[in-house]
Amino acid sequence: MTIDFKNLPKQELFGQGNVGCKGCGAAIAGRQAMKVLGERTIITIPASCMATLGGNNTKTTWKTPFYHTLFECAPAISSGVRAALEIQGIKDVNVVSWGGDAGSADIGFQSLTGAAERQEHIIHVLYDNEMYMNTGGQTGSQTPLYAITSNGALGKKVHKKNMLAIMEAHGIDYVASANIAYPEDLMNKFKKAASKKGFSYIHILAPCHRGWGIKPEETIEVARKAVECGMWELFEVDEGKRTRTYEPSFIPVADYLKAQGRFKNLTAEQTAELQKSVNKYYGKGE
Amino acid sequence: MAVKNLPIVPSGDPGALVEAANYATWRIFRPVITESAKVNPIVTLYCPDGAITVDESGAEVNYKLCKGCGICAKESEGIQMVPEYTGPKGVF
Amino acid sequence: MNKVLITGSEAAALGAKLAKIEVLGYYPITPAFPAMERLSKYIEDGELNCKFIRVESDHSALASVLGGSLAGARSYTVTNSQGLLLMTEVVYHAAGLRQPIVMGVANRALSAPHSRFPEHGDAVSQGATGWIQLFSENNQDVLDNTIQAFRVAEELRTPVMVNYEGYLQSHTLEEVFVPDQGKVDAFLPLKRMPALDVTNPRGVNTVAGPDVYTDYKYIQNAAMEQALELIPKVAADYNREFGANSCGLIEGYMMDDAEHAIVAMGSIVGTARLLVDELRKQGKKIGLVKVKTWRPFPAQAVNQILKNVKYVTVLDKNIVFGVGGALATDIKANLYGQGSMVINGAILGLGGGKCGVKEIKEAVDHTESSENKNRSEWIGL
Repeated sequence: MTIDFKNLPKQELFGQGNVGCKGCGAAIAGRQAMKVLGERTIITIPASCMATLGGNNTKTTWKTPFYHTLFECAPAISSGVRAALEIQGIKDVNVVSWGGDAGSADIGFQSLTGAAERQEHIIHVLYDNEMYMNTGGQTGSQTPLYAITSNGALGKKVHKKNMLAIMEAHGIDYVASANIAYPEDLMNKFKKAASKKGFSYIHILAPCHRGWGIKPEETIEVARKAVECGMWELFEVDEGKRTRTYEPSFIPVADYLKAQGRFKNLTAEQTAELQKSVNKYYGKGE
Repeated sequence: MAVKNLPIVPSGDPGALVEAANYATWRIFRPVITESAKVNPIVTLYCPDGAITVDESGAEVNYKLCKGCGICAKESEGIQMVPEYTGPKGVF
Repeated sequence: MNKVLITGSEAAALGAKLAKIEVLGYYPITPAFPAMERLSKYIEDGELNCKFIRVESDHSALASVLGGSLAGARSYTVTNSQGLLLMTEVVYHAAGLRQPIVMGVANRALSAPHSRFPEHGDAVSQGATGWIQLFSENNQDVLDNTIQAFRVAEELRTPVMVNYEGYLQSHTLEEVFVPDQGKVDAFLPLKRMPALDVTNPRGVNTVAGPDVYTDYKYIQNAAMEQALELIPKVAADYNREFGANSCGLIEGYMMDDAEHAIVAMGSIVGTARLLVDELRKQGKKIGLVKVKTWRPFPAQAVNQILKNVKYVTVLDKNIVFGVGGALATDIKANLYGQGSMVINGAILGLGGGKCGVKEIKEAVDHTESSENKNRSEWIGL
């Protein structure tokens, strides 16, 4: 499926007037996804930047039903929403829970794994800025190895938890990684997920310029480098069939890492180690 | 003192922020369309704020919504970031 | 109306079934689980058209039910003790979002030390959450309260807990009159009020600033105050429709000329009734006040019924550490400046501890004889 950028739905269901920072990667992810999901979508968002940037008091940017849930339970809430729609015979509504890395992989993991195991008819999105940005950028399970955070000035000493592998292991209908620099790929994945009858999981890498130590205008460029260097693979597992949806050009990982303040202390050995693991993963030798 | 008239379920009106928004004061630079024909329509999906449109009639920026992040100018030809303030230096 | 011999768990499940719940989220916990098992069976047997969400935790249980309610379905769950504590965050949240959820709570003592036995500590821990809390003296109350709870919850858009004690009620058989389904349908017309609705989109739970948060809480509290008027009306309607004898906020027993009043809630009310009968035979002017509605606290009704007594013995199967029993504390606070009666609280029956006629008698004697007035006495140590 190709996306015709000149003939996208004009309707802006989310994003205009949002109170996020300038250059917000999460808002970009939300806008791209909502172009596909459309107005018959109910979205639940646990505590995160994405929940708060949606609005305050009696004003919101959302034009679809949106619910700022508690931190741990967006997939459980969405399960209840789906049940209520089914009991009322409402069949053509996308039910989406949209968590950050904390609300999906850490504090929200229990309800996510529960809903995935039950094969709930919902889409869960993890928009990943690789740290707890809503509280100022602390380390979490999705923070990558060596990244400096607001509570880890020496850099993270352990690897990023592989949420895509964990979610794939649930045997759910659809698992995909995505990246805001590749909207066509991202939007196609949302189209597929929306067509499934069971659980779908989409994990979007969405840089936060404040946390990553980049300039706001570099948000897309750095996201793109993550894919092109091979550190963020774009793939899907569609009912068990795994496909790489984009072949990277394999720029050096240093091009991606050195562009970011959070990796400013990376040594030559550490960079080489990361390059080696990418090479190995893609079968390009050591 | 009277209690404010609020919805029973604490909630906001859909899209009300779109009308209320005015991000002019957030900007240090503003994107200016220099060559409309060269603007890559993909920037409409790279803009976090839905502030830029590209269609048959050309590219256009909504300056109430634009926060001046500069992604569009970085990702496409035909757009330039220009300073919002061009007066004497040292004022701020 | 037919008569059946059922446990409190079955009464809770039957009440929810008669109310035609549509979304059930539940995580197993002792002693609440038989209610869930019975409801799942109703669903599997095709007797109840309801979606059962087999969640992975108590927190998600109430969250899933909250999602169901927000999307317009009549929603129900059951839990107790540790499950209720794990849910607490969602308990507050659901009340703030004004969702008419009904939750059965098979009251059980809280850890530590670990206990599986009945006590009101779990319900009392939720006393500030903004949920209406009803207590049940017997299994008939469990069923009646569950049906009435949906009517109250939906009219006030405020969630309701129906408390019944673990084992003493959840696992004990009693005769229960079951109302006819047709009449329950008429008593509980379904009015959907979805907050999450694609035809009327709202941004639910947007961040509230200091300029509106107080107002939201004022409005929420006003609904709780309205409950004090609505609950007796709903009970009266229920009694008229079903020929039942269900209590509203509170109910007096032998209170007309009483000089000493026992005040209690839950299963111990039934035990206290036996003591009152016994002491009345001996000529003692003693009565009993059953508190069915603990939240909101029926201050006026309690003050009215206690205004002429000399002694009040409040039985609390809970302890608020450093303060005393929760019910006694509420009663003392609300009677402040309204009389010179002695009000003694008795802490008894914690974690399944003894709370029979003998222990209640001890508490009553204590109130009349002790030098230590207006304090909490621990009974049965």
